[in-house]
Amino acid sequence: MTDATHKSAFDAARGAGDTKKPSLIGRTLIYCGLVVVSFIMLYPLLWMVSSSLKPENEIFSTTSLIPQNFTLEAYRRGWNGLSVSFGWMFFNSLVISVLVVIGNLISCSMAAYAFTRLKFKGRGFWFALMLGTMMMPQHAVLIPQYLMFLKFGWVNTILPLVVPKFFAIDAFFIFLMVQFFRGIPRDLDEAAVMDGAGPLRIFLKIILPLSMPVLATAAVFSFIWTWDDFFAPLIYLNDIEKYTAQLGLRTFVDATAQSDWGALLAMSTLTVLPIFVLFVLFQRLLIEGIATTGMKR
Amino acid sequence: MSVTVTSAAKAPLSERLNNQLAGYGFLLPWLIGFFVLTLGPAVSSLYFSLTDFSLMGSPNWVGTENYFRIATDDPRFWTAMNVTFTFVLLSVPLKLMFALAVAVALDKGLRGLNWFRAIFYLPSLIGGSVAIAVLWRQIFAGDGVLNQVLAALFGYEGPSWISNPSTALYTLVMLAVWQFGSSMIIFLAGLRQIPQDMYEAASIDGASRQRQFFKITLPLLTPVIFFNGVILTIEAFKAFTAAFVISDGSGGPIDSTLFYTLYLYQEAFTNFRFGYASALAWVLVVIIAIFTALSFISAKYWVHYDD
Repeated sequence: MTDATHKSAFDAARGAGDTKKPSLIGRTLIYCGLVVVSFIMLYPLLWMVSSSLKPENEIFSTTSLIPQNFTLEAYRRGWNGLSVSFGWMFFNSLVISVLVVIGNLISCSMAAYAFTRLKFKGRGFWFALMLGTMMMPQHAVLIPQYLMFLKFGWVNTILPLVVPKFFAIDAFFIFLMVQFFRGIPRDLDEAAVMDGAGPLRIFLKIILPLSMPVLATAAVFSFIWTWDDFFAPLIYLNDIEKYTAQLGLRTFVDATAQSDWGALLAMSTLTVLPIFVLFVLFQRLLIEGIATTGMKR
Repeated sequence: MSVTVTSAAKAPLSERLNNQLAGYGFLLPWLIGFFVLTLGPAVSSLYFSLTDFSLMGSPNWVGTENYFRIATDDPRFWTAMNVTFTFVLLSVPLKLMFALAVAVALDKGLRGLNWFRAIFYLPSLIGGSVAIAVLWRQIFAGDGVLNQVLAALFGYEGPSWISNPSTALYTLVMLAVWQFGSSMIIFLAGLRQIPQDMYEAASIDGASRQRQFFKITLPLLTPVIFFNGVILTIEAFKAFTAAFVISDGSGGPIDSTLFYTLYLYQEAFTNFRFGYASALAWVLVVIIAIFTALSFISAKYWVHYDD
């Protein structure tokens, strides 16, 4: 932004129509800045992937991002680096994440449907409470929840990670769906009521089929957040056979004591890979989901 | 009661009953979840916080002793507060500034917007994972990438940034700032809302670009800045994974990365002091509530609303 006078001269020449677009010099500077920032942003990730494809002695001997002696050896070492194969832990993560997606989609869409389409006493009250739970940090309920699941004999199983999601515990997704359901025209339900359809049929035949975008957004975020979750598995899963990929990776840090960076980076790359694939496939959905609801992460 | 009479006149009793049944039927999973997994545990943990409950025995009522000890006789609590507040007060403004600057740069109608947006967003999608914490450990280690680059460029032999107590926390701040992407996307959406003709009118009046930024863009964006600020602050108070992985769960070196949540975790699940940890949890709830309330109060003075 150093050459304001220069720019305004350009603007005057172009006329006042396209006011947002800077001059050629301004654009070039912004491009250069963006490219530099992008490179700094991506460098750690590129380094991770490229180091995982190098032989161990090459990781630190050169800062080049292109492996001179391409090898998958680090992946082989990492995959079998713990007493339980990483494949098994990936499977555990996948099972938990898929079940959480199913639980969230069913329970949150039901709650959102009740909040937006059904008339019953106390609806406003419950809705306000639901919004209140979004603000509440999990830490306040953590210990009693843990003790309850301990009593149920659920600790060291996937149940504490999965079952709560079937009870719409992620209020955020209810909120997301409420926003979307409100936009579906009411004429559609009213026409269906005329035809004698009950609430269940309207939910299944009208609301859900029209809500595919928001269901997909909720599903993708749900999957990614569960896949990435570290805290809940850390508390509830004790045996290495039950570990998720995230827990496995963290155990691997201790096990290798930083002596085998190649293997560690190879497994890091693998745990990020599913998220990266989802990101590439659903980029637009994710970005729109954030832009419209202001959700985080 | 007149309400019931009129609605009774409108719809037959069976239909109204059906509505109630359907409403509560669809809400049932959430209601169960709310009572069993949120309200019940919240009440219990409030009770536990007033007891000496630990793995050793059943809870005995001790009144406000836990809270008293937290405030007066727990140096690690104050360390954790110090670390957490430093983290929040550094990472949130930096993240906001980065997100805003990049969003403004991207909002110039340049080509390749989608590419840049995707690149900047990616870190905030994966940044919370263990893999990225592991990566950060490698980057800032004594023989890590950063020191390699420093040595290659300037011949400077850097220390181990993560095992040095005076720098470890700042590597975590950098990790947080690296994830500015989702705030940036919200800013971009906010920038799109600003009517184009305001800029046109301003430039006809001869307002420079800087002036337009400070007189139009920034004031109209204050609601979004506020929203992002509140969410980022709550998130920063709850940060856990990176500090846990980078410090091996200890909050070290010498408690320099002892985030509040990490201390809470240690008390609850390493030392099994459930009563004390519950009190710590409620202190965190109150701190976050105070911060949020203060933000809303301050909003009256700086957030610009149309009406």
